[in-house]
Amino acid sequence: MPFENLTPPPVLENLGHGVKVFEGRLHPLTLVIGLTKYGRALIPAIALVLFGNRWAGAPLLFFTLAGLVATFIKYFFFRYRIENGELITQEGLIEKRQRNIPLERIQEISIEQGVLHRLLGVVDAKIETGSGSGAEASLSVLSRAEADKLRQMVFAHAAAIRAGKTPTEENSAVEVVAGEAESVVVCRLGVKDLIVAGLTSNHLLSALALAGAVWNFADDLLPDAIYAKTGKLISEEATHLAAQGIEWAIVVTVAGIVAVALIGILFSVVGSVVLFYGFTISRRGDDLQRRYGLLTQRSSSLPRRRIQVLEIEEKALRRLFGWATLRADTSGRSREDSDDNKGRDVLLPIVSVRELDGLLPNVFPDVNLADGEWRQVSSQSVMRETLELGLVCLVIVAALFFWLGSWWTLLPLALVPLTYWLYGISYRQLGYALGEAYLRTRRGWLGRSTHIVPINKIQAVEIHQSPFDRWWGMASLSVDTAGQAFTGGGPQISNLPVAEARELARMLASRAAVTEYKW
Amino acid sequence: MTENLEQQTEEFHLLDPRTIKLWRMNYLIGFGIVILATLAAVISIGYAAAEARIWLAIGWMALTAICLWFSFWFPPRLYRSWRWRIDAKVLELRHGRLIERTRLIPLARLQHVDLERGPLERLFGLASLVIHTAGTHAASTTIPGLDAETAARLRDHLVEIGGDDAV
Repeated sequence: MPFENLTPPPVLENLGHGVKVFEGRLHPLTLVIGLTKYGRALIPAIALVLFGNRWAGAPLLFFTLAGLVATFIKYFFFRYRIENGELITQEGLIEKRQRNIPLERIQEISIEQGVLHRLLGVVDAKIETGSGSGAEASLSVLSRAEADKLRQMVFAHAAAIRAGKTPTEENSAVEVVAGEAESVVVCRLGVKDLIVAGLTSNHLLSALALAGAVWNFADDLLPDAIYAKTGKLISEEATHLAAQGIEWAIVVTVAGIVAVALIGILFSVVGSVVLFYGFTISRRGDDLQRRYGLLTQRSSSLPRRRIQVLEIEEKALRRLFGWATLRADTSGRSREDSDDNKGRDVLLPIVSVRELDGLLPNVFPDVNLADGEWRQVSSQSVMRETLELGLVCLVIVAALFFWLGSWWTLLPLALVPLTYWLYGISYRQLGYALGEAYLRTRRGWLGRSTHIVPINKIQAVEIHQSPFDRWWGMASLSVDTAGQAFTGGGPQISNLPVAEARELARMLASRAAVTEYKW
Repeated sequence: MTENLEQQTEEFHLLDPRTIKLWRMNYLIGFGIVILATLAAVISIGYAAAEARIWLAIGWMALTAICLWFSFWFPPRLYRSWRWRIDAKVLELRHGRLIERTRLIPLARLQHVDLERGPLERLFGLASLVIHTAGTHAASTTIPGLDAETAARLRDHLVEIGGDDAV
């Protein structure tokens, strides 16, 4: 690794009772990264002040310089240490800011490494706690080795504190780390898996994203005259096409749609490979670690007891081929916009359902898939869903019929029996299984989504009864847990007979009440 | 209210009947602001457009009538839909006219309990209890319209039995 010799040695010491175990500061390359970040803006800013609009240039120059100065201050005055069971960060030149984060509250330490970071051998480390508002502390940048060590220390000490051991000289940092279990690879995805993931993901969305990105890019670069020209060209072509007859117009439209779809597929395959390249999930003791990325490499480390709900998502297309996506919620994690393209919303982007049974014990150690038998929802739900869909269809079709007056508009009603049949097939998979320590729920008609929630993680149970539900004597039940963000609204069962829903809710709540919830 | 909260296992409690008056007052104040604001708008438009005056006046009176009617009609119905019960393990609430919602909270999951008394609630001798859990959608739960003394006792009871989780 280049620049290794620049790393300030992390001070390992046992002062008296060994309360201070780890101390460090940012890597000197923080300055280099800051320089490249603000230096890029510096040249245009100076040029603008010298040769261009001074009024626009001066603030730009000021903010760029301020950013540079802030980087220097951050580097020279940032300290962090582990002491008395807390991670303490200190920063600031004039106003000193100190933040104490109790180790046992740290949910996740994620490490991100962009291309420049990788060339330099450094990482950004983010410390997440249950506060639910993003990272609690951001250590940017550390050397790779130091970040790994920090991560180990934090979780080892948190585990020791949980086990009731106060940090003393006897179980000093070195010992705690030595007592750590070996890291076991749980699952590794090859390029082939990622291509499958890309092929079966939502193409239209990625095509639109691509179009949006291209449009934005073009918007910045191209002068307005080109828009006017393109617009004129398109309208001319359109009139031209219309003149050539409807067949041509259809052919061109279909070709256009196919082209967009193909670009979308290509884009999502490439996107999936770039984002998740080399995806590895491994387990070290109680700690689940994920590592992935082709250009920007990301890794995160998550104590598995923080997992509140696990979702096995089988979208229609993936389900057809026996593939699923695993998603998990951890307490105190809220969804942020910046998470969207970083793969943080999935625990495992793609996995064959055959491997799931072997995989689940890595997430929930005491899960027993034979525990609790599956119970189906109300037998009337197929009829109900079909009728409700039919009713909506009928309204639309009736409106179209009176508007257009053609008998062809009645054709969509023929789909209603088909949906009845489809619902009938899927009905068997809906329902729930209440086991000793876990509740599993399953919903979705074509696609399917299975939620597994440990009963001691249940925060509240809710029953909804809409007027339609009342008509059918049904209700829907949902389970609230901490930090629901990525599992599509958590466990839910619709179309339960109302008495059963009430009984199940009471049973879940009173069983949750006698368990102990730990963050 | 019986004396011992722990013994109330099966039966549901209604809110304090004074809640109906409280809610009526709340609606009247809320709608009153809307009605006054619309009146100002109606007058300023009517000043400019003489021919529309009669329609504006009728419209405004209809709006006022609907608001008044709703303020008196709705609170008793909402009141009747509200019920709650508590046993040794679970607090259960049920409310809603169109969509009925039931929420069950395991008492061991309580994070903290707030007692809230706005000026109007104080006027009627009422209080609301706000119960917080670590959940997401159901992170906070309000029981409105409790008799102030009941609310305080319920709070003390909840604080005593719940919230022994490691946080």
